[in-house]
Order: sequence, then C-alpha cells, then structure tokens
Amino acid sequence: MTEKLLEVRDLKVHFNTQDGVVKAVDGVSFSVDRGETFGIVGESGSGKSVTNLTAMGLINKKNATISGQVLFKGRDLLELGGDDLRQVRGKEMSMIFQDPFACLHPFYRVGDQIVEAILAHDDVPKEQAKKRTLDLLRAVGIPQPEERFRDYPHQYSGGMRQRAMIAMALVHNPDLLIADEPTTALDVTVQAQILDLIDRVKTEFNIGVILITHDLGVISEVAQDVMVMYAGRPMETGTRDQIFNQPLHPYAWGLLESIPRVDQKGTRLLPIAGAPPSLINVPPGCAFHPRCPHRFEPCDKERPEFVDRGGGHPNACHLSPEEKRRLWDERETRRGAKV
Amino acid sequence: MTETLEPVAPVTDARDALVSVQNLTKYFPITRGIIFRREVARVHAVEDVTLSVKAGETLGLVGESGCGKSTTARLIMRLLDPTSGKIYFEGEEISHFDRKKMRPLRRKMQIIFQDPYSSLNPRQTVGQIIGSPFTIHKTEGDTKDRVQGLMDRVGLNPEHYNRYPHEFSGGQRQRIGVARALALQPKLIVCDEPVSALDVSIQAQILNLLTDLQDEFKLTYIFISHDLGVVRHISDRIAVMYLGRVVELAQADELYLDPKHPYTAALLSAVPKGHAAPAGVKRTVLTGDVPSPVDPPSGCVFHPRCPKAREVAGAGNEIPENCRSEIPPLADVRAGHQAACWYPLSRGEELQESAHI
Repeated sequence: MTEKLLEVRDLKVHFNTQDGVVKAVDGVSFSVDRGETFGIVGESGSGKSVTNLTAMGLINKKNATISGQVLFKGRDLLELGGDDLRQVRGKEMSMIFQDPFACLHPFYRVGDQIVEAILAHDDVPKEQAKKRTLDLLRAVGIPQPEERFRDYPHQYSGGMRQRAMIAMALVHNPDLLIADEPTTALDVTVQAQILDLIDRVKTEFNIGVILITHDLGVISEVAQDVMVMYAGRPMETGTRDQIFNQPLHPYAWGLLESIPRVDQKGTRLLPIAGAPPSLINVPPGCAFHPRCPHRFEPCDKERPEFVDRGGGHPNACHLSPEEKRRLWDERETRRGAKV
Repeated sequence: MTETLEPVAPVTDARDALVSVQNLTKYFPITRGIIFRREVARVHAVEDVTLSVKAGETLGLVGESGCGKSTTARLIMRLLDPTSGKIYFEGEEISHFDRKKMRPLRRKMQIIFQDPYSSLNPRQTVGQIIGSPFTIHKTEGDTKDRVQGLMDRVGLNPEHYNRYPHEFSGGQRQRIGVARALALQPKLIVCDEPVSALDVSIQAQILNLLTDLQDEFKLTYIFISHDLGVVRHISDRIAVMYLGRVVELAQADELYLDPKHPYTAALLSAVPKGHAAPAGVKRTVLTGDVPSPVDPPSGCVFHPRCPKAREVAGAGNEIPENCRSEIPPLADVRAGHQAACWYPLSRGEELQESAHI
C-alpha cells in the first residue's frame, strides 16, 4: 500500500494586481505518493511554480486569494499558522530551486550554510551538525567533503552547487522534496548526473519527489506520474507511458510534436499556433481553445471539467475518448511516428 | 576566386566554402597587477580549430557551456581577434582585416543572439531596431517600407512598427532579432542559441521560420546550441566541441547514429529522449566536471573523464600513454566524418558504465 504524502484539492491562487486578477493557479488537483516522482510540466506562466510555492506556504496570503486544500500527511497546510508551518517547511518538506548560484549566500562557506539549516530545526551540538553535513556532502557525491566544507560557493561548479543544495534539502530527512527546474541551468551531462542523484536520493531516503520542469525530456526520464499544466489549469494527468504514448489532450499533443527529437530525423516541426494567454484574460471556456486545431461548439463557452473518463487518465477536454483516439492516431500518422 | 586559397587550404571542399577557419586559436590572458600588468595565465578558449562551412548549409556547433562554441563564432565574425590561425570568408583571408576593411564585409555576416530581452534596445522602437542596419550601412531606399516588409516576412504585424520591445512576447522579440539580422540580406547568419530562452511551442515556430528563411534567401547558418535535439533538427553537419577543441565533425545523421568520439557518445546518451524510453537503454553518465580551460589536461583533453580510455586500459591500470601525452588530430575516420580520438568507437559500441557518482 502506497502512502499518500501530499494531496492538492482544487487549489486556486489568484493575485490582485492593478491590471486585474491574475489567475495564476485555477483549480489544480493532484496527489503524490511516497517513493514516487511526480512530474509537473508546462510552459512559462502555466502556474507550475506557484502551485508548489503555495504548497510550501511561500506565497504571502496578504497578496493572494488562496482557496482549496493542500493536505500533507492528512493536515491542511493552508490552515497552519506561522510556527506550525515552519515546523513542516524545511523539516518535513523541502525544496530545491533552479538557480543554484542564487540560492547559496556568496559570503558564507557552503558547509556553514548547511550546518545552519540543521540548527534551524534541530537543537544539536555544532560538532554533530558538522558531522551530519559531511555525511550528506559525501552522500550527494561531492569529492573530498572535508575540504569542500570550507569552500565558498564560487569555488563550486554549477553541478556541485546543485548537489550542495540537494544536501541542504535533505538535512532533516524530509518526506517530500520539491525540485523546481533543478537542472535547467545545467549542461546535459551534469543534468544527467543530477537527475540520477535525485532518483537515488528518492530511493535511499524513501521520499516523494515533485519535479517541476518545462522539459518533457527530463520528465520522460524520471517521473512515474505526470501532470501537464496550461494557463494555471491542469490539462491532463497520467502515468508517464500514458502521457507520452497515448496522450489525451490536444495541448499535450502539440507539446510533444513541437520538440525536435534527438533520436529522429528532423522532419518539419509542428508548432502550436499562437502564444500562451495572459493570466488576467484567460480565454472563456477551455483556456487552450484559441490555439486548439480541434475546437468545436462548446469549447469557447463551457470550461471542460478535469475528470477521469476511464483508464485513470483524467483530462480537461470536451472531445469524446473515441474522437481523441482517432485524432491522435491521425496526427501520429501524419508525423510519421507510426508505421 | 578561390585560386589563392589552394596552397594554404588542404581541406578538399574549401573551394565551395563560404567560411573556413584553419588552426584557429584564441587565448584570453589573465592578468595581475594594475600598473605592471603581467600575464599570469591564459584561458584556452579556442584551440586549433579547423573547419569550413559551405554556402547554403547549416553547421551546428554543440558542446557544454565554456567549450568555446560562441568564441569560435565570434572569431569567425571578427568580433574578437584570433591569437593565431586563419579565417577565410568567400575565399579571402580576413584574419587581420582592420575595422575599415571589415566594414563592407559586416553586412554579409549577421548574428542572432540568445536572449531576446537583452539584445534589443528597450528605448528604441521596433522600426528603429530593424532599420538601424540600413542607417549604419547607409543604404538607399525607403527604410520604413523595407522594415515593414521584413516584419511581415518574419511573422510580425507591420503595423507594430512604432511599438517598443517590452510590448512583445519572447517569441515575437526573437522574430525582431531575426528581422534585424536579415535586413541587409547577409550570406552568413550566426545563430547563437536562438531558441534556448523560448518555450517549446514557440521554439518550434522560430526553428521553422529559420528553415523557411534559409530556403528563401539561400542563407548559410552557423547554429550554436547546447540542445542536441534542436541541433540535429536544423543542421546538415555538426561539430562537437569540448574544452576549446573540435572533437568530432560529421553529417548530422551520421553523428547521431554512429558517434566515433567517446565524448559525443556520452553527450548523446545524456540527453533525455523526450518520450517514454524503452527499458534497458543505459545512459553513460560522465563523472566529474569539465576541467578548467586555464589549465587543460595534457594529451587528449577528454582523457581524465573518458570511459573508453579506461576500458582500453583495463581495470586498475593507468590510462593509455598516447591519450595522456599526445593530442589526437581531428582525422578522417570515414569520408566526411572526422574525429579526434586515438580509439574511436565502432558502430553501436556501448560505453561501459562509469563508476557511480
């Protein structure tokens, strides 16, 4: 029996601005089990980061209207106050970010910063904290941790800084690790190392991982379940195989067809027409309808519900399952992916 | 016109090359002291690069950050001065042209930058930005008409002539950059990571636009990217760079199907495939980081990380002598396929898994 770590139910995060209400997250639901990597993929501005910042309690409630539930091990994090939340955040769930350059303080030694993270939650002697730091640095694959402990961030390479960030996120044996674009700033060979490391950490520490990225390639390598987001809404959630081999939403189709693939000869790409909408003026009905080649009668009026129409593969689209199967096969044939 | 090229150009296809470089090298000095500046070390940014680009083709330059791909392109455009080596453009050696002599050539070579936010002046209108090449090169004719024609061609609304860059999305800004590069009908366009900052759906639009423009205007591209999928899609030939050197050069398909250099193979296997990969396909994970270009390793620059060299040596033995001390030349392994390796891979050869990090 898998343990459900995090369950997000109908989360909405709206920001009031001078220009109007920005619906950054608009009705997102998903759940993450222990021992699983849950991938969230979407283009910039699709709300994937805000969803997780809200889950971490990092969105200032004064500036935003938040509704819905974020259940972490059964407790609703949205209802926790400052001190209770602080107990959870950084201790039971932790986060790593895209830019490891900006996340480490340039004036302090890397080791001391990790020790500080330990002492923030645990009342242990400094010596013990240091020992734990060294163990973690070794565990994330930093060579000669004793010497590297005393280095400043600028003496680390990009990949090593991301390793140090992962070590810092692990100091309190969290249950859930949220990785927000952890490899976007890194080269592919280093990216492969970090993805392997996250996967190994997941197994060794038996935690759940949420991996946020815009790169479908990264998702396809490491995630078990995937959610595709667009304009603050979930479009489709399914297992990795479902999303990549039998996707059900036209937006997911468009995304898959836009990527030049390294293992296929370059035929002409089939981009999605137009650009993503502004989150202040989200199109009525289905947010994707102005760019969707398969739109029909209700698409511009009724917002399709995000429901499972069979097969454990919920999606938000008005097309009938048979229709979708037919259209997807047609597109695959046109693209020459199927013989 | 290429007669003069003959004695100095051993490259057989140099006759129809639009651009070629020979033994191109660029060092950046690291200095100490304020009054008595002395050089204490050098960054070996580009070292002994020889390649040529045929008219009408797309040459992809790939490699990780700091491998010298952008520096190579900037040297070709003479935006930087080479430390040594020769650069030919349309058969003429331009390595030591001064500003005045370069000027008429500049209109034939243009560049599209990575970041569409910082490469456009925020205080100029789109019309001014795209029109500035006409002003700089003092061309005749109605600038506004031509600018609007260009805007239309790259998929921008010509009526947005008076708008400022901040009013456009990332993809549209990149189109402005493309229009500016096209303005003077250049022969060569260097695309320096032109789609790296864009979302995938927009990226595909720009790549298609670049392909169409190439067909229409018979352009030659040098396409720089760290994204191997993008490079394969757009390039005819690809040069893989590592620590300032070209380690492999081949037709795009051949490079992907049959990489000869262990670094190319490792790089390809590190790329996420973008779809559910069949189980059992192993990745070669390279250990460690790219060494510093200030003090590159002796012999083959890749030898400290090379899984093939370790395999040749056998467990526990030291890496082969020639890898450690002799620099492998970029030599033909087959017609049109060059690799700089003492032990090139055979087709389909799998690299052994490196020790776990």
